[in-house]
Amino acid sequence: MIHISNIFLALILLSVLLSLRSNRLMALVKLMAFQGIIVSAVPLVLDTAHGLTFNLIMFFLLLILVKGLVIPGMMSIAVNKVVASREIEPIIGYHASLFAGLIMIIFSVYITNHLNLASLPASHKLLLVTGITTMGAGLILLMARRKAITQVIGYLMMENGIYLIGTALAKEVHTQYVVEFAVLLDLLVAVLVMGIVLNDINHTFDDVDTALLGQLKD
Amino acid sequence: MNIFFLALLLIGVGGTQALATFRLYSLMKAGAVLAIIAGCSFGAYDAAARLLQHAEPVIYNHSWLHIFTFSLKIDAVSAFFLVPVFAIPAVGALYSFQYLHDAKRAAGTAINYFFYALLIISMALVVCANNLISFALAWELMSVSSFFLVIYDVHKKATRGAGYIYFIFTQAGALFIFAGFGFLYSHTGTFGFEALASIPDSAKLIAFILILIGCGSKAGIMPLHIWLPYAHPAAPSHVSAVMSGVMIKMGIYGIVRFYLLLEPTSVVFGQIVIVLGISSGILGVVYAIGKQDIKKMLAYSSVENIGIILLGLGVGMLGAASGNKTMAAFGFAGGLLHVFNHSIFKSLLFMGAGSVLHQTKTGASNELGGLMKTMPVTGRSLLIGSISISGLPPFNGFISEFLIYYGAIHGLSLHGASFVLSALAIIALAVIGALAGAAFTKFIGVVFLGEPRTDKAAKASEAGILMGTALSVLAASCLIIGVWPYHFVQAAFLVTQAIPLVSDYTTAEFMPLMTNISRTAALFILLFIIVTVLRKIFYIGKEVTKSGTWGCGFTQPTVRMQYTGTSYADSIVDFFRPFIRVQKNYSGINKIFPGKTTYSSHTHDTSEIGLNIFVVRPVLYLLSKLRWIQHGNIQLYIGYIVLAIVVMLIFL
Repeated sequence: MIHISNIFLALILLSVLLSLRSNRLMALVKLMAFQGIIVSAVPLVLDTAHGLTFNLIMFFLLLILVKGLVIPGMMSIAVNKVVASREIEPIIGYHASLFAGLIMIIFSVYITNHLNLASLPASHKLLLVTGITTMGAGLILLMARRKAITQVIGYLMMENGIYLIGTALAKEVHTQYVVEFAVLLDLLVAVLVMGIVLNDINHTFDDVDTALLGQLKD
Repeated sequence: MNIFFLALLLIGVGGTQALATFRLYSLMKAGAVLAIIAGCSFGAYDAAARLLQHAEPVIYNHSWLHIFTFSLKIDAVSAFFLVPVFAIPAVGALYSFQYLHDAKRAAGTAINYFFYALLIISMALVVCANNLISFALAWELMSVSSFFLVIYDVHKKATRGAGYIYFIFTQAGALFIFAGFGFLYSHTGTFGFEALASIPDSAKLIAFILILIGCGSKAGIMPLHIWLPYAHPAAPSHVSAVMSGVMIKMGIYGIVRFYLLLEPTSVVFGQIVIVLGISSGILGVVYAIGKQDIKKMLAYSSVENIGIILLGLGVGMLGAASGNKTMAAFGFAGGLLHVFNHSIFKSLLFMGAGSVLHQTKTGASNELGGLMKTMPVTGRSLLIGSISISGLPPFNGFISEFLIYYGAIHGLSLHGASFVLSALAIIALAVIGALAGAAFTKFIGVVFLGEPRTDKAAKASEAGILMGTALSVLAASCLIIGVWPYHFVQAAFLVTQAIPLVSDYTTAEFMPLMTNISRTAALFILLFIIVTVLRKIFYIGKEVTKSGTWGCGFTQPTVRMQYTGTSYADSIVDFFRPFIRVQKNYSGINKIFPGKTTYSSHTHDTSEIGLNIFVVRPVLYLLSKLRWIQHGNIQLYIGYIVLAIVVMLIFL
């Protein structure tokens, strides 16, 4: 039986692979917005979902608002205002990244089996796989792209992955959301800081290439 | 316990308010000093009362997030250490009011007071900690706050260097202590102190050695003492007084506490401690003679006194292990009393040296001279401190060294290695005493007697009244303990009852001896006063003329012809040549009409050279080979992280 949550997970995986392949900054930002909304909504469609309280609904609405609108909005402003060239300029090529993403999926399946979590429901197993893949892809993005803004996107993707892993592993739902909320706040601040730093890097080096930061080592 | 917390609160408030009110410079200082003194008085009073009334140990527990319990306990050992922990910093705070006088550095001074308060609090917590985690926390707090105190003059390069050296040593020491704790935890499975006595003997020895190294680097045991001669001269004088007088004793406390908790039965513990005591004591004082900077010299003298304390503790441990009650009781009592006494006279000496530094702006003894006439209060207090530290009656240093001698002499009834070490301890104590006398006659003679060698020394005037008061209070305490030692010795013996072997040991037959010492000292002081008064009476109405020293017929003497500290020390330092490296630069006289001739000499610390060759250089070499790892490329750094995660996920 195809459960609706599996469709969501497939969408997330697709967005992950696409983000590794995409060569335009703006497209990447839009992808992140899409991914953010889907990821935020995943706990709602799980078969283990409990009854929705008012607080929970407010929480999900806020999550979707921040991940789907606020953060991507800020990033698109940054792309339009600060970044002169909209090319992504990869260190590791698009095809190689895509391939790495595919390997990441296999690796995640291996890890999930390796962890041997007997108490995990079957549907959560796929969720865990998706989560680890998303996180790994975020790391690949961090490592393989040169622009400061892609670093932030990689960081966001890792956060999405952690959120999924948390959803898969957490038993007590409410405490998890408290932690999630704190992380979200962190992320928001991080994106804000990124905006400022990006501006400063741009002022100092006339570019947002993080390779230039290498000059700052002692 | 409530008074204890009240004391900590007052001290903390005093330090913290300084940060808020530093714009009003004198008010900030007055507030901080008063609050710290008030808090310290409460704390010291509470601890002393507890000790003299034989109070039952009190325990305070506070569990935090179910992760660990913050546990404090004040028993006799803690109370004994708490007295100097509170008393000496109070005097230091009084002294600091006039010592820190640069209103332009108001913020720096405020930070100094904040960490000063933090240091007192953390030291009090160290001696009261009742489980491994509490001890480790308090220990770290103490190390960090004292580091910030050392780098008060942060704009000077030498001070920053000294700060880093201190930081490296204190953190490396902490590493050893934590390793020891981890080792203990692996055997007991609990952070509590109670279970430590039940672990196997071989494990006890390993844990004790790890903690000995860690605490030893704080206390300044010989090969680990390198930070002392850097950090003490760099720190402000009231800070070096507290650090040298009290903080390094926390290392001794750690050794004593864990010895008591482990309850070892082997003689090896005592033997190790005695050997370390001999090396620290003798070499410390030899270096003290060799150094011409007064605060460096005092720092080495701290190493020497740590050696004496270790000798006492070692004799006690040897006695406890071989079942000799007298030896155990007297060794420990002597060592502990010396902790107390040293905290008094060493802080006196450091503050006195600070006054000299403050008034003349130089710490090089060969640039000073003749200060006894211009700085009478400082000079006389330092004279008392010097006699005390040399272990001469009727001052306090004599009392504690006497107890150690007494214990060590009882050790001569043992056999084998223990006999040899007891004999060596006695010889070492005698050698240390004589050399300390030489070191401090040099100190007093070169700095305070003779004629001023430079302008700076000639223009010096007496330091401020509060600084003088602080010195006088400490000097008076030296005399009081020397003349009426009864209660202090009694308190030290009370602490030794924590050792199972001597818990029922009575000192009744020994205490009359203390009364005799007390009477003799009083008699000596009475004679001294009578002679002084008689001299005054005989000289009434007689003309007293002052003239220069007889120059053996030489008519043009200059101040440069005085005996210098270097020349005084030369023959003694020469004798210890294998252990102390002296570098002499002498241009020589090789013409009939000699031109300008120069001579300079420096003494180098052998353990510092050894550390440089065997540790620092190989590590630097190795690390320079690894420099390529830090290339500044963020993406590759992230790559390292990914690699580490993948490896851990797959293989662990």
